[in-house]
Amino acid sequence: MDVNQYLEIFLDETNEHLQSLSDQLMILENEPENEDTINEIFRAAHSLKGMAGTMGYKRMQALTHDMENVFSEIRNGKMKVTSQLVDVLFQTLDALEEYKNTIQETQDEGTNDNAAIIQALQKCLDEGTGAGTEAAPEKKDEAPKKEDDKKDAGDKKWKNIKLQEHEINAIKDAEEKKMKIYGFTVFIQESCILKAARAFLVFKAIEELGEIIISEPSTQDIEDEKFDFDFSLYVVSEENYDKIEAAIMSVSEIDRAVGERINIEEILEGESEAKQGEGEKEKEQEQEQEQPSSEETKPAAAAEAAPAQTSQNTASAPAKKSQANKPVVNRTVRVDIEKLDVLMNLVSELIIAKNSIVSYSAAGQLGNNSNFNEQIEYLESVTTNLHESVMKVRMVPIESITTKFPRMIRDLSKKLNKKMELYMSGEDTELDRTVVDEIGDPLMHMLRNSADHGLESTEERVARGKNPVGSIFLDAYQDGNNVVIEVKDDGNGIDVEAVKKKAIERGTITPEQGETMSSKEIIDLLFLPSFSTAKVVSDVSGRGVGLDVVKSKIEALGGDVSVKTKLGEGSTFSIRLPLTLAIIQALMVIVGEEKYAISLGSIDTIEDIGEEDIKYVEAKEVINLRGNVIPIVRLHEVLGLEVPEDKKDRMIVVIVKKGDQYAGLVVDELIGQQEIVIKSLGKYINCTSRLISGATILGDGEVALIIDANCLI
Amino acid sequence: MDEVSVMNNEYDTTQYIVINIGDEQYGIDIKYVDNIVRMQKITRVPNCQEYFKGVINLRGEVVPVMSFRMKVNLPETEITNKTRIIIIKLEPNAPVGIIVDAVREVVTLSENNVDEATKSSMSNDPSYINGIGKCGESLISLLDLNVVISDKETA
Repeated sequence: MDVNQYLEIFLDETNEHLQSLSDQLMILENEPENEDTINEIFRAAHSLKGMAGTMGYKRMQALTHDMENVFSEIRNGKMKVTSQLVDVLFQTLDALEEYKNTIQETQDEGTNDNAAIIQALQKCLDEGTGAGTEAAPEKKDEAPKKEDDKKDAGDKKWKNIKLQEHEINAIKDAEEKKMKIYGFTVFIQESCILKAARAFLVFKAIEELGEIIISEPSTQDIEDEKFDFDFSLYVVSEENYDKIEAAIMSVSEIDRAVGERINIEEILEGESEAKQGEGEKEKEQEQEQEQPSSEETKPAAAAEAAPAQTSQNTASAPAKKSQANKPVVNRTVRVDIEKLDVLMNLVSELIIAKNSIVSYSAAGQLGNNSNFNEQIEYLESVTTNLHESVMKVRMVPIESITTKFPRMIRDLSKKLNKKMELYMSGEDTELDRTVVDEIGDPLMHMLRNSADHGLESTEERVARGKNPVGSIFLDAYQDGNNVVIEVKDDGNGIDVEAVKKKAIERGTITPEQGETMSSKEIIDLLFLPSFSTAKVVSDVSGRGVGLDVVKSKIEALGGDVSVKTKLGEGSTFSIRLPLTLAIIQALMVIVGEEKYAISLGSIDTIEDIGEEDIKYVEAKEVINLRGNVIPIVRLHEVLGLEVPEDKKDRMIVVIVKKGDQYAGLVVDELIGQQEIVIKSLGKYINCTSRLISGATILGDGEVALIIDANCLI
Repeated sequence: MDEVSVMNNEYDTTQYIVINIGDEQYGIDIKYVDNIVRMQKITRVPNCQEYFKGVINLRGEVVPVMSFRMKVNLPETEITNKTRIIIIKLEPNAPVGIIVDAVREVVTLSENNVDEATKSSMSNDPSYINGIGKCGESLISLLDLNVVISDKETA
């Protein structure tokens, strides 16, 4: 079978399932009895196995199969969840992840059988269940039965069918003719080989009694065998429910058929609440229909459990139903990020073109037609909206990277033998997709850093009278046009003296320099390459490749990193990132003969300052603005331009801010606010001071550089 | 398949764009040349490498432009009507422009017309040349673009 076209979907879904498995395992470790979690894990493991099998990845399938067995035992209460077992299961997940990566790169699962893990799983299984080979057959009989029970609420898959207007009309017509409407989900036995043929026979059987309005998957897909072992239908018929069900069941190799009569109102509302009135009767039917079949397969020993199980099932059914219906509302498409990039580029081009029309019209070259100006304004608002929408499409919550962190902290906790807990907030904060992809590693570095260097050992914490379990916080939130992500720990904080000593030892600074440096400057030394204060190099961190990499990566994304620390109480690393990368609102200014753009996000105010207002502090120019002492930066100097001879009495000062720090940039002229498209300067030009963060193309085709005001503060 | 590869071996030739820097002729492998444009307004980029003159707008793309003369430590000359910017793409999406005095022609050199540039034959260690092409009477220094564009100062 040619599976290439499904590969992408397979990888996507594998990712999802692995993530869900990892999340649920974390929960399970803390709450070994949580039934929902166990069920969730089982489902994910089962789907994973099915997918791997379909795609022909035998090793992956074998491994998931063994994992599924373990979960199945846990679910049946034959095994207890132990910490050791969870370790093995996490190893299994890692191995699966590895398969996935290999598949992603080579489209092949590789040759690693992971026999050791399979053996470990088997061992857990044997130990956990009391090595019962005798028990095995019994278990096997039981497992599918329970599965049936559990699955039942989710069985009514026809509810997930989305009806188009013409289908609803067909149903309405049928209703008028006093025909009855049924929803069915038919399950074919998993051993069935010609499932498409069986499905066809079912279709034929039903069509003799009534009419099939719609099926899911579509008839075409069913003919092509593009379905699992179930399909769902809407049927209108004059016959009663039992007759149709009997017709379906008359086809051989059909496992079971679940269905009920539906009111037209329900379909129209598309909601499940209305079903409950009728529900009681239906459920009885279902139970009757189930009971015999389960009794056949089930040994007497398990029979007692059955009533309890079913009644529980009934109680939880309505809740589960509404849950199952939820995804229908959430309509999404997966789009290749490259396609979005193309779209984004086109929007950028459009904005440049719009800017050029605006600049022509401002120059009066196109005459002074008020109608024309109106249209230009309209065009402006449309392009701005278009840009915003495309931007929003590209935004993803940082959740996609933070979800793997709890697992990482758990592993670190074991490896470092420190007790720690990760608290996360603001995972729904959204950032541009490209930024989110890039900050995963830096964040991981920072968390490792906090776990390894930040937190003290458990004994030390106890000795200091702190909670023996260390806390690491990961908080994300939006702040204006920026997103701030903070990694905070309640460890020992940064020992400034130790850093200073180390820096002098390494020759990074001289002892004299060390004397005069502020503690903030010393902390900044941590971001220099190959600087680590950990006394012992571990494989977690301490090789000094951490923080400088973090810093350079974040800065490459146009953000910055800062640290706050208090000895004995912990430290906070904050990453500040721009919300969008491609298009920003900027203030255009003229310095000398050149035009520059300053991001509006970093501008606080614009002031008109007299020469006499400038004061000197430590031989540096400052102004006192409403009680704030703000350093003055003469852009002529930092941009390497000649300082004009004739000093003006008044000057225009753009006050920029970064966090709670300010600086005043002296410019010659203001042009105005403009939407600009950020273009990179390319990888070859090396702007040593990082003063220029990019370039933009103005309406007249000229290139203007973008000043990164953060560098000047 | 075999036949095709044999054919290719027989005609193992490379096309070069020949440029002038003063009196010397240099060749640039045509497969790296994206475009040749006239001199245009260059926006200066402060605090960058000396030899980068700035950036230009090439049909909506911002492209850094370097002066070949400054890169190889030759004196700058006036911009004339013949001055051109050769847009080079060593990698996709990373164009860079090189300012040259003039563009002359395109020549096709087969492998046996190209001599290795050895250190002994070139006294000043101009490592940005990876071969000498012979075309009729004239000699063409073939540029190693990776070296020309890289950050390291030659000489």
